[in-house]
Amino acid sequence: MMYGAAAQTPAGAASAGAATAGAAPAGVGDARRAWQNWTMNCQGCHRVDGTGSAGTAPSLAGTVAKFVRVPGGREYLGRVPGVATSPLSNADLAEVVNWMLWRFDQQHLPSTFQPFTAAEIGQLRAQPLRLEASRMRNDLLRKADESGPP
Amino acid sequence: MAQFDHLAEKVLRGFASRTSRRSLFSVLGGFLAGAAALPLLPVARAAEGGGRSAEDSKSEIEAPQFSGNPQDPGDRTKCDYWRYCAIDGSLCSCYGGSVITCPPDTEMSPITWIGTCRNPADERNYIISYNDCCGGVAWGRCACQNNRGDRPLVRPQTNNEITWCFGTKSQSYTCTVAIILGTAIEQK
Repeated sequence: MMYGAAAQTPAGAASAGAATAGAAPAGVGDARRAWQNWTMNCQGCHRVDGTGSAGTAPSLAGTVAKFVRVPGGREYLGRVPGVATSPLSNADLAEVVNWMLWRFDQQHLPSTFQPFTAAEIGQLRAQPLRLEASRMRNDLLRKADESGPP
Repeated sequence: MAQFDHLAEKVLRGFASRTSRRSLFSVLGGFLAGAAALPLLPVARAAEGGGRSAEDSKSEIEAPQFSGNPQDPGDRTKCDYWRYCAIDGSLCSCYGGSVITCPPDTEMSPITWIGTCRNPADERNYIISYNDCCGGVAWGRCACQNNRGDRPLVRPQTNNEITWCFGTKSQSYTCTVAIILGTAIEQK
């Protein structure tokens, strides 16, 4: 199945190589598939380098793995609107989330991190966040920053 | 001789009775002013530009553009060029840009719409980024609406009718380019 969606470039081909080179991170069965699903479904608003778009999608770069360091953050990642409403299957979505954590914020990813599974993502996305997402994000990031460096 | 003088006097008096010094100055002034204005007419400026008219420039912009590579076939100024399978907009190839570059005085949006198109040369699917070029004048030239993979507006991230002129200085849409990001893997 081929499809289209908002995404961001340019130099995507080069970044694809960089993003899929080397060993696949934990919870990512196929890094190239994860990159393609990211490109086709997420990159449009979050941009190729994960820096996001003001007023549309927050930055992931250097930030996204902070959520899995604080209570409630893991649940937030599975319920945030862009994840919960994605057209991807639970398995593909879990793979993309695991890939994003590795691709955009390895520095904050705990060594004890357990990858998301399809079952976990399926359970979380069934309760999507709405307007409260922005406030919850700010609270979680504040707690993560208060907890100190990784 | 007296007859000649009489005839000359009759002709001059007749001419003087039909004209005046004021009308003479009027005609003469109009001619001089008109002569001064002649170099300012558009025709004169076109001639100074090497004889290129507006029609010449239009023809040049819309001239066919081929890659010269058999692996990338087709005229990039035509809507049926393979990379345009999921485009919705105007082709930058017709605006002084190309299939991958924006026209002068426009800015490429960092946020785009992505689609996949099959290259007839190798029968493989390629991931194509449709970047809008923003800030120029949209002439409505080379409009192209193919919409492969397009979804209703209720899912904005999968709808290509949206103008993606975000993150640019101007939100004014001009045209769209089609950049290859890589080959796509088939998914079930």
